[in-house]
Amino acid sequence: MDNNSEAANKNIVELATFLVGDALCGMDILKIQEINKLIDMTKVPQAPSYVLGILNLRGQIVTSIDLGKKLGLGETNLKEDPRNIIVNSPGEHIGLLVKEIRDVVSADKEKFEPPPSNMGGIQGDFFTGVFKTSDKLIGILDVDKVLRIEENDQ
Amino acid sequence: MQIEDDEILQGFIEESLEHLADIENDLLAIEEDGADIDEELVNKVFRAAHSIKGGAGFMGLTTIQDLAHAMENVLGLIRSSKLIPAPEIVSVLLNGSDKLQTMIEDIQNSNNYDITEHIIPLNAIVNGDLPQASTPPETAVEEPAAAVTAPEPEPEPEPEPEPEPEPSAPPPTSAPEAAASKTPPEPEPAQEPEPAKSAPPAPAPKPAPAANSQKKDSKKKSPLNVDTSIRVHVSLLDSLMTLAGELVLSRNQLLQTIASDDPRNAETVGQRIDLITSELQEAIMLTRMQPIGNVFNKFPRVVRDLSGKLNKEIDLTIVGKDVELDKTIIESINDPLTHLVRNSVDHGVEMPADRVNAGKPSRGTVTLKAFHEAGQVVIEIIDDGKGLDGDALAASAIDKELLTADQIAAMSDQEKVNLIFLPGFSTAKEVTDVSGRGVGMDVVKTNLDKLGGQVDIISEVGKGTTISIKLPLTLAIIPCQIIMTGGERYAIPQVNLEELLRIPANQVKDRIERVGNAEVVRLRGNLLPLIRLADVLGIKRTYYDKESDEFKEDRRERISDPRGPENPAFNTDKEEVQTQNKEPLEPRKRENGDRRFTAASALNIVVVSNGSIKYGLIVDRLQDSEEIVIKPLGKHLQVCKGYAGATIMGDGRIALILDVTNIARMADLTSLDGSDRAAEIAISEEERVRAKKDKQALLTFRSSEEEQFAVPLNQVERIEKIKLSDIEVLGGKKVMQYRGGSLSLIAVDDVAMVQPLADTEDLLVIVFNIASQIVGLLAIGPIDAMQVSVDIDETTLKQAGVMGSTIIDGQTTMLIDIFEIVGALYPEWFEDQEIYEVVEEDGSPPVVLIAEDSNFFRNQVKSYMTECGYDVMEGEDGQVAWEVLQEHADEISIVVTDIEMPNMDGFELTKTIRNDPRFAEIPVIALTTLAGEEDVAKGKAVGVNEYHIKLDKEKLMTSVHHYIKQLH
Repeated sequence: MDNNSEAANKNIVELATFLVGDALCGMDILKIQEINKLIDMTKVPQAPSYVLGILNLRGQIVTSIDLGKKLGLGETNLKEDPRNIIVNSPGEHIGLLVKEIRDVVSADKEKFEPPPSNMGGIQGDFFTGVFKTSDKLIGILDVDKVLRIEENDQ
Repeated sequence: MQIEDDEILQGFIEESLEHLADIENDLLAIEEDGADIDEELVNKVFRAAHSIKGGAGFMGLTTIQDLAHAMENVLGLIRSSKLIPAPEIVSVLLNGSDKLQTMIEDIQNSNNYDITEHIIPLNAIVNGDLPQASTPPETAVEEPAAAVTAPEPEPEPEPEPEPEPEPSAPPPTSAPEAAASKTPPEPEPAQEPEPAKSAPPAPAPKPAPAANSQKKDSKKKSPLNVDTSIRVHVSLLDSLMTLAGELVLSRNQLLQTIASDDPRNAETVGQRIDLITSELQEAIMLTRMQPIGNVFNKFPRVVRDLSGKLNKEIDLTIVGKDVELDKTIIESINDPLTHLVRNSVDHGVEMPADRVNAGKPSRGTVTLKAFHEAGQVVIEIIDDGKGLDGDALAASAIDKELLTADQIAAMSDQEKVNLIFLPGFSTAKEVTDVSGRGVGMDVVKTNLDKLGGQVDIISEVGKGTTISIKLPLTLAIIPCQIIMTGGERYAIPQVNLEELLRIPANQVKDRIERVGNAEVVRLRGNLLPLIRLADVLGIKRTYYDKESDEFKEDRRERISDPRGPENPAFNTDKEEVQTQNKEPLEPRKRENGDRRFTAASALNIVVVSNGSIKYGLIVDRLQDSEEIVIKPLGKHLQVCKGYAGATIMGDGRIALILDVTNIARMADLTSLDGSDRAAEIAISEEERVRAKKDKQALLTFRSSEEEQFAVPLNQVERIEKIKLSDIEVLGGKKVMQYRGGSLSLIAVDDVAMVQPLADTEDLLVIVFNIASQIVGLLAIGPIDAMQVSVDIDETTLKQAGVMGSTIIDGQTTMLIDIFEIVGALYPEWFEDQEIYEVVEEDGSPPVVLIAEDSNFFRNQVKSYMTECGYDVMEGEDGQVAWEVLQEHADEISIVVTDIEMPNMDGFELTKTIRNDPRFAEIPVIALTTLAGEEDVAKGKAVGVNEYHIKLDKEKLMTSVHHYIKQLH
């Protein structure tokens, strides 16, 4: 799926990294359309708990998801100036709310390691692997899985 | 097959489909013209087939090319007048074009299609092996009986043409005969499966695939035409281009203005942009508009094929093809319309013979009409068939237990006809493959509801049926009512909006009632279920405080609850509630007054309906009505059924659009199977019975300005206007001269502890005739006579001279017991009244059985009786009374019964009594509030001895005395 055409050649991906809770996560930067500050959001009563609300992104209705809550890493504190990562999803844009944006890291796909086996539960489901840099560990987020609607969401 | 260039292929598909759409109608027109060929038309079809052939050849679509080529050949002959386009030939061509369409829609596999079944008859026609078949179709049309013996192959005209295979086939002529005379044509293909491939297949299997492919077509057509592309007139595109150019210019101006910080200029630029955007919006909307002809055009074929199949003669008239509707609507009305047209042909229009018998021309007409009306598009499907029999529908609804007989009785003819929309209601006596597929009209209605359309049926038995559908022009922009709840804005589509209702704080208690767990409001005599939006959405209940312009939490459980002593305005989690205004809120001081009596406590109700169900939505605040653009919600929010989408408001924030139907569902307002309408009917029926039962004619008046009184209207003789000076006080009693005598005057406050008679010059005298004397009650206006449902409270305000109280038009009203007042002031008048003194053998007084469901009236009658020395037994309805009567058969001497009662009404009670030999002689006196002549006659018929108006004590007692005396 994703951006294989390009990555397949070089096996190098640019990872946008960000903090969800205290965990450093990364995703392919090509999947990101833009990164915003938190803008005025409209709450949607009865929505799944991880949906923060909907917002108006230049005339488009964007559903905003609290990534921390979705991944089971704790609710993102709205007062700590979180950021919205707008990603493309078939037919719409979706905002992923994260605590903080970090650097862009170039990573070799070959060096991705499978997620540690003790990273079970919800988290394990959403990560395809981990990538080790000299000083930190980045969890590679499976965005498609995060955005997928689970049957038992409701 | 490889198709290199997608774009060219797409172009070919579009063009071909367009040609095919025309071909169909043109072929039908050619058929109609017969030998008298319209060359232009034939040429057009010829050219269409030709260009499809050419294009297909270019693309390597050989199968399509071959078929188009074969068709072109036939058309060529017609064009050169070598061939007369008889219906059979046209049928072959039509089948061919259907097949072409199927293949073009499935272009990738088109070369794998087997087209021999089309090629052979086409070639046969060209080779002059014309079907002698000209006979069979006629038999098919003219002898409906034939259809009974061989229903499958017969109705399809298609089989006939094929029998002229040149090659190895069985003799062509035998085939149609076989179809007509021998019922089982199937064996033929079974026996010769191989020749069937190369040679013409026997007639029997043919109709089946033909029919199938046809069905497939109609199904496939819609998804394929959807969403691919749309044709727009170049001039429209040009104007769009111009507008876009202007928009860019204005943007540049705006940027300049901002840079130069010139506020005056900004205003001009703003206006300009405003103008351009609305023009742009309009133009873009136009691109979405499609003529309804796109849908209508397929109906000539549908009607032709169907009527042929059913042996009916039907003309289809189409009016208003040019009316334009939004593309999405055009696509979605296709199926409902097809269903309705098929219904009209199948069930509406009768067989020719029946029509002639009914004095109608043997050819029926079905008219499809589209026109604009009041900003909506109306589509009518009119047939001159047998019409819908409302009573038959009603009977069927009872059979299917969708409704009860009582509910039906309350319905108008129009409502009965509309029963056809009830879920689970199919009119077809038997299921035919044409329209009675058991799906029924409810699906049509549901589909139209989704489009924001309304459907209505007008029908006259024997004359025909008109189904009219009202559709909005477009779904993209809709007018909406904006409301607020919990600090957020929501939009309710105007089509769902019936009215806005505001119940002032001081009326809330009176007008909102609770039925079980549900809150209802009485709206013009109907009970309207209420839903709190906050509850349905699961958010905190709030209310809007105008003074501080903020939303505050509402802690009351229900509207009618008195609140606890704690201050409701003070809440701990302000964050959530006060989105409007963040200024710190101090706990409000009690002296601000009880909220029950402030404006903030008024209820804002949006009365909404989706056609079948109507309810009131309680919201915090009503705002303006706005035109909004619907935007879909993301997939994560699809689980939230309460929203139809979202929209962006002028300030850039988002408002959710409410889905009225689903909200009702979420609130469990309706059963999920959708028998909403039935429920509504049940409610209205209940309401009707209830209203009828307790209706009482009252005369309201006042004695002082503040207090309102009422007396039963039937006790009043007349009303006179007098002046204060007319009253004379003699011997401690008030009198006035009246018709040459003197009239005793009384006032309510003479007896009852109420405020004294107002001290004004102009007075009214309400004249009563009591104990064969006339007496005048002094009163002041305003007086009014009205029929009201009395729900009498006999405790709160009961006192001497006052029977009880009721609420009339929001005003507590005391009901005057005029007998008691007169009795207190002029006891001597009643002295000569008989008190029953005859006692039964055992020394006890005679026993009266009172059957009456209203406590108030029962107690009232009971008091008359006991006053006069009778013993009383009671039953709160006919059933109970009957049981009491049986138990105490020996003691009860007379029965006094109400007419309108639950379980067993007065008529039935009387009938039951009369049918029992033990009680054949017992007197029965009926009491009623409405002594209609009909009722009186009905009562006499079942054995009621006498009728009296409720609360007419004197007459009632006289007749009780009379009957008791007779007994002894």
